[in-house]
Amino acid sequence: MRTTILSLLLLSSLHAYPQFLVSKTATISFFSSTPVEDIAAVSKTGSSAINPKTGDILFKVNNTSFRFEKKMMQEHFNENYMESDRYPTSEFRGKITDPVDYSKAGTYQVTVKGTLNVHGVTKSYQVPATLTVNGTQISAACTFNVSVADHKIKIPSLVIKNIAEVMQVKVSATYQKN
Amino acid sequence: MKITAPLLFSVSLSILPFSGIAQDELEKALATQTSPEKVSATFKSPKLINIQTSETIHRHELDFRVDHRFGDIAGHNGGMSNFFGLDQSTDIRIGFDYGISDRLTAGLARAKGAGPATQLYEGSLKFRLTEQSNDDGMPFSTTLFGSATASAMRASEDVTAATAYRKFADRLSYVAQAVLARKFTPAFSFEVVPTYVHRNFTAYNDENDLFALAVGGRLKVSKRMALVADYTVPFRTKSSKDYIEAVNGAAFYHVLGAGLEIETGGHVFHLNFTNATAIQESQFIPETTSTWTKGQFRWGFSIARRFSFHRKDAKQQE
Repeated sequence: MRTTILSLLLLSSLHAYPQFLVSKTATISFFSSTPVEDIAAVSKTGSSAINPKTGDILFKVNNTSFRFEKKMMQEHFNENYMESDRYPTSEFRGKITDPVDYSKAGTYQVTVKGTLNVHGVTKSYQVPATLTVNGTQISAACTFNVSVADHKIKIPSLVIKNIAEVMQVKVSATYQKN
Repeated sequence: MKITAPLLFSVSLSILPFSGIAQDELEKALATQTSPEKVSATFKSPKLINIQTSETIHRHELDFRVDHRFGDIAGHNGGMSNFFGLDQSTDIRIGFDYGISDRLTAGLARAKGAGPATQLYEGSLKFRLTEQSNDDGMPFSTTLFGSATASAMRASEDVTAATAYRKFADRLSYVAQAVLARKFTPAFSFEVVPTYVHRNFTAYNDENDLFALAVGGRLKVSKRMALVADYTVPFRTKSSKDYIEAVNGAAFYHVLGAGLEIETGGHVFHLNFTNATAIQESQFIPETTSTWTKGQFRWGFSIARRFSFHRKDAKQQE
């Protein structure tokens, strides 16, 4: 009986997906700075997955999960800028182009190449990122700039002094083996 | 060269679908059931034209609002002689609403008053009971609104008048409403508002207790502009209504308001037309005696500005 269960388990593990690295608590934040005001928003419920074999990487975040200090800004963000009803998620699909040994502890400086989809508009990016392997814990961090105009997000002239044209986006995630 | 081209083609063929599949598999690895979220911004402002919406003020934010109603555009009192009502103002209201929490708003206001009673002071509370969720687990939002209005005017000497106050309590009137609202599409929201008005003191033979039903809607026409309209029906008993109408020489009417809402990021403007002369619920619901059909509708506007009072150090904690 025991051996049957064991062999069944073995079989099922063989048929499972290749072992992905998954994070459901990815932190994604953006920061806008102008002489008039600084605006920051953060989502701690982003999700990300890495296929360690191919280097494929995916980041996904619900636009309504971004939290602002001022709730009214949050409402404006979803209603007027991101149009979260029409474009509920923002995502990045790409590939880690440098080799990483996920079984060896260390910090890896890598390049991530792919496309970012925000507000229904896709744009190619190539950004440096840091991968840290520490035993079974693997984490990733990356900072890059996104131009609001690139994603066809219009800032009305009335608030043009309050909202930066380029946002600094920070992404970090700690992965578990799936 | 002839060899490399087909070779490249076949290589790209084999890679392209593969990378697509790889991303799909990653997507599957992330697939989770998403938890239902609250539907936000059913309306843009705590008020439509005449009636309350389901919206409350966010925590630690202050909404400063000025409402204005001009005189009759047309009819007996309108027209060119008073510049289509712009020479008069039937009611002016200045209000402050503060978000104690995201669900509870407290308000203070001063209004000129357009019924028999003038010099009005209003205190109000608004509480979000339920919020619509995007999976329709809760199909609509419910917000409760309660207000008390006191008149500071000189009491009338005529004992049959609505303002023949004998003691302070006579000066008070109350409004209780339940706002049931639903955002049907990102562009369209609708609400039904059962209302109860209690006036401690009224004109002789008028009703102290009055029920009313109001409906209102908002239709977004662009990212920052919306059409808004509301309609209020007071339920008066026939005998009292007939008596008061005979004494006043004026009939009571339902209240219709229609207008344009413009949002500019921090400010909300309403440009509207309504037959109600008064702004306060305690007055426009029971006391509207002007009607659209006689040209007794007016131009009105409101300007609302939102201020945030968040502690500065909250920024550094981020």
